Amino acid sequence: MAAGRAQSVCMVSDFFYPNMGGVESHIYQLSQCLIERGHKVLVVTHAYGGRKGVRYLTNGLKVYYLPLRVMYNQSTATTLFHSLPLLRYIFVRERVTIVHAHSSFSAMAHDALFHAKIMGLRTVFTDHSLFGFADVSSVLTNKLLTVSLCDTNHIICVSYTSKENTVLRAALDPRIVSVIPNAVDPTDFTPDPSRRDDSTVTIVVVSRLVYRKGIDLLSGIIPELCQKYPELHFLVGGEGPKRIVLEEVRERYQLHDRVRLLGALEHQDVRDVLVQGHIFLNTSLTEAFCMAIVEAASCGLQVVSTRVGGIPEVLPEDLIILCEPSVKSLCDGIEKAIAQLRSGKLPSPESVHNKVYERVADEVVLPMDERLDRLISHCGPVTGYIFALFAVLSFLFLLFLRWMTPDSVIDVAIDATGPNGAWTKHCFLGKRERIKEEPPSSRSAQMERTNAPVPRGFKAC
Amino acid sequence: MAERRYRSASGAPLALRCRQHSASCRELAVRCPRLQLRSLSAVTSAVWLAAYGLFVLCENSVVLSAAIFLMLIGLIIYLHCVKIDQESLLVIGSLGIQLTSSYASGKESTTFIEMSQVKDVVINEAIHMQKVIYYLCILLRDPQDPQGVSEVVPLFQVSVTE
Repeated sequence: MAAGRAQSVCMVSDFFYPNMGGVESHIYQLSQCLIERGHKVLVVTHAYGGRKGVRYLTNGLKVYYLPLRVMYNQSTATTLFHSLPLLRYIFVRERVTIVHAHSSFSAMAHDALFHAKIMGLRTVFTDHSLFGFADVSSVLTNKLLTVSLCDTNHIICVSYTSKENTVLRAALDPRIVSVIPNAVDPTDFTPDPSRRDDSTVTIVVVSRLVYRKGIDLLSGIIPELCQKYPELHFLVGGEGPKRIVLEEVRERYQLHDRVRLLGALEHQDVRDVLVQGHIFLNTSLTEAFCMAIVEAASCGLQVVSTRVGGIPEVLPEDLIILCEPSVKSLCDGIEKAIAQLRSGKLPSPESVHNKVYERVADEVVLPMDERLDRLISHCGPVTGYIFALFAVLSFLFLLFLRWMTPDSVIDVAIDATGPNGAWTKHCFLGKRERIKEEPPSSRSAQMERTNAPVPRGFKAC
Repeated sequence: MAERRYRSASGAPLALRCRQHSASCRELAVRCPRLQLRSLSAVTSAVWLAAYGLFVLCENSVVLSAAIFLMLIGLIIYLHCVKIDQESLLVIGSLGIQLTSSYASGKESTTFIEMSQVKDVVINEAIHMQKVIYYLCILLRDPQDPQGVSEVVPLFQVSVTE
């Protein structure tokens, strides 16, 4: 179960399996990770051919394939109104607390953001693509983006280039934009405190052993710290021309038992190395974006790094200790980390996760009048007023829908996500007599199979 | 014979009645609310207002008689073919399942499913109009392929969705 409050997250995007691509797999993996953290996740997308209705994927990830018409390039039409009844019904019946929209190409994502804000739900948006500023299509998309992001709670970009791009395009406050790269899969980089040896302090370095990664600094740090702290061990993963420097240091100071050089690592072995350590050290002299420190933080290590390039922005301050790229400063940083480690002040590995959602969950959703002000002031005189009008209309539409089918009438969907989901064996074990009637193993299989033929008399739409 | 009260997907009240005929024979009936006098009079007055409006415009009394005629025909069709008062499910062990829907006019339509045809009974989720609902359905066995499902028969359709 999640350390904080369990959220009910609704991923909305036009792009999902069976369509294949980066966004699709990102949504899928993100959902799986969140389920593992104990959140409830569902995905809403449009129908792909015969694949419509409700499906379940691994770990009870529920996918709604809504029968909305595809306009262009697997993207639905954005009218801001036609999808409101269905989306509202889903948001209510699944008790969604956070709506997470993906990709600026996806009209459905923008629609969902618009509706969610009217319904007073928290919103998160992930931008997956870069845009230009000059041609007609990007001018229009940028305008749409400005409108839909100006009152979104939080925006996630996949890289810094993307963040810059998005902030410029949508005229955003950069503070509400986070960069969370796609490539790190937190399920691959999970903490495992049992693997580390707590009688010693192990510092892990994983990088190519080249000049740019500051290996010369590392060779200065190792002897100094090893003298100071007799229980300190170094674990160095990676290969490169500077390996010889480290070997020399090890030779000169007789540190063979305390400095281990592992050589080149396959990507899947990185986690095994990371979980053996307490502190991760990054000595890069220049770095645009450092994936390694994210992986290390994800494994629950305290990160000590040089303050260069994009690194200060990669991790929040409580997860990283930043130093100047000099031997002295880095030593100070590591000493600080060791001191924190000894006093037990380091955040526990599990608590490092799901920060964004918890942060968003505490934010307030703008009330209607402020939202209108924001739209009008933020998006230019013409577009601002038009969309403010749309927001009002759509609010009235929502009131009408609430009158037609009150929230109390909509039944709550069964929560099937995660290990405690409804379709797993776990749940049925409590009711012994039911097991005799219907074996649970065939239950989920039936659910999948029933979806295949279209029910008689029941139109899918 | 116990009667329990529920609500349909759109919030209309429903009554479920279970009757145990014998050890292996059971009847389940879902009753929808009858045609309300209020809605009937609302529709009638709406049609009449429209008819009078047209009459004032074109000053032809045929409009009025057509309105009466349409109203009557419409009501008959509605009661005879659309409005379902009760849906019942008669389950006889070893024999089969009989589905009966009784219309407001008293007409009944019955379907029988042989027990050997029934593969399973499941609760499924579907998108229906602008709603996402749960429904109960019977899976029919495919005679050609014993593993496959030839048809899905939803039960209590009208009662659930209306």
